[in-house]
Amino acid sequence: MNGSKTALVIGGGIAGIEGAIKIAQAGYPVVIVEKQSRLGGVVAQLYGSFPRWEDPRVLLQHKIEQVEKSDRITVLTGMTVKTAVKEDGFFTVDLQATGGAGEKQVKAGAVVLATGFEMFDASVYGEYGYGIYPNVINSLEFEARLREWNSGRMEPAVPQSIAFIKCVGSRDRSKGLPYCSKICCMYTAKQAGIFKDMFPNAQAYVFYMDYRAAGKEYEEFTRSVIETKHVRYVRGRPSKVLPENGRLIIRAEDTLMGVPVEVETDMVVLAAAIVPSRGTAELARLFGISTDQYGFLESESFNPGKGGERVFFAGACGFAVETQGAQYQGAAAAAQAVALFNQT
Amino acid sequence: MHSDLNHPMRLNNYDRQLQEEIKLTCCADVELCMECGKCTGGCSNAHIFDYTPRKIIQLIKMGAQETLLNMDSLWICVACHLCVDRCPSGINIPRIMDYLREKAYHQGIPNRRDKVRLFHELMLDSIRKTGKVSEAQLIIRYNLATRQYFNNADLAPRMLIKGKLRPFPVKVKKIKEVRRMFTKTPVSKER
Repeated sequence: MNGSKTALVIGGGIAGIEGAIKIAQAGYPVVIVEKQSRLGGVVAQLYGSFPRWEDPRVLLQHKIEQVEKSDRITVLTGMTVKTAVKEDGFFTVDLQATGGAGEKQVKAGAVVLATGFEMFDASVYGEYGYGIYPNVINSLEFEARLREWNSGRMEPAVPQSIAFIKCVGSRDRSKGLPYCSKICCMYTAKQAGIFKDMFPNAQAYVFYMDYRAAGKEYEEFTRSVIETKHVRYVRGRPSKVLPENGRLIIRAEDTLMGVPVEVETDMVVLAAAIVPSRGTAELARLFGISTDQYGFLESESFNPGKGGERVFFAGACGFAVETQGAQYQGAAAAAQAVALFNQT
Repeated sequence: MHSDLNHPMRLNNYDRQLQEEIKLTCCADVELCMECGKCTGGCSNAHIFDYTPRKIIQLIKMGAQETLLNMDSLWICVACHLCVDRCPSGINIPRIMDYLREKAYHQGIPNRRDKVRLFHELMLDSIRKTGKVSEAQLIIRYNLATRQYFNNADLAPRMLIKGKLRPFPVKVKKIKEVRRMFTKTPVSKER
């Protein structure tokens, strides 16, 4: 078999998994390459989901079971793409084990890039003290804390007061990221809501410029966090996090009142911007598709999710997207790959 | 600006009690507020308020009771109900204003609008005595008390012609029951 009707999915997060399942269900062989030792990507790190407060691990388990059951899907974990050569309508892709030892070659007639995102390095903001104060963490790190607290481990200590700061990196021209990262408003509401459910007597503050809840049930979700879980939303972008008597003081303006305010907290969670994961730009170059100025993959005109001839993409490597959206995009990329295979 | 709005205010230390009181007595949950400002945009007197309706809701969230009870807006609000009519969350701001006014009144907090207070007292007194607001008598008493004898006098003929002004007070039949009502609530002193 020359591989002209085999699909290669690069990235084993929720978008890649969804794409692979759909291509396999349509009857074509799929290879998933994942650089980590197991499938799941960012979703595997999450504690809760919006807008239905579901457990993302249940979703992931369900999907991974489907992958394992399918005899058309080959999963190659712990491997990355080294080179890719295109000839006669298919790609010959050389893979390399992340550790170094071990190589593999895959021939594929279609490639789905699903390399996901990572969080913007918040230590760029000296004023927030990320990387300096141990209790200033980013949102993904906070998901891990939620898991620890839920499992009964109260180390590190549960904060009596917590503040979430949105738009850390996003909507900041001076840091080179003028775009809105789209999902932070929702996952911050989710995190604050879960925190208040776990510890109803603790205080939770969310600093926001505006909350963007564009999606089915999203507005209701955010309002319920404010109205029924009593998370206090303060409009204003904090300007400084200062240590004081072992706590962290946040200084901001309440822009609705026009007065400077302070909040005493024990933990600060930074909703850092979504940026494409490392290596996405290199893969784009290998497969001959373009990226935008921030490194997100670009679609051809009128073909969302199609980067170039036989190259499709899904999930947050194209732009910040929530779990559900990544699944939609994975399925859409699969549809394009399958349509291509059916034509020839 | 009162001490509870000292800069910078620490949000942690705010008192949630006022917010809870208002939720219970006024059936108004300020957490439903979306900060859209439609109340202020439509308010008939916002241009002379020191704190606009939206900011008043915000002050309640901050627990800034002292500022709320001392603000001028309390006595300029004419309870026209445009704010609650237009509020997308249906927050009953006039009811909140009533509650705060009563609170300020009972605490004897002096306000810079003594005439407003006088007018309220005279109006209630008129109801206490006749069961109705007799406009002519009310205005005459008010003008005498404030020594502005011809204030708004030019409006009287037009109001008379349109039947908006009764020259002589009319008493309701069951005035005793109205009086009894007043004994049950200490809303104002008899003048």
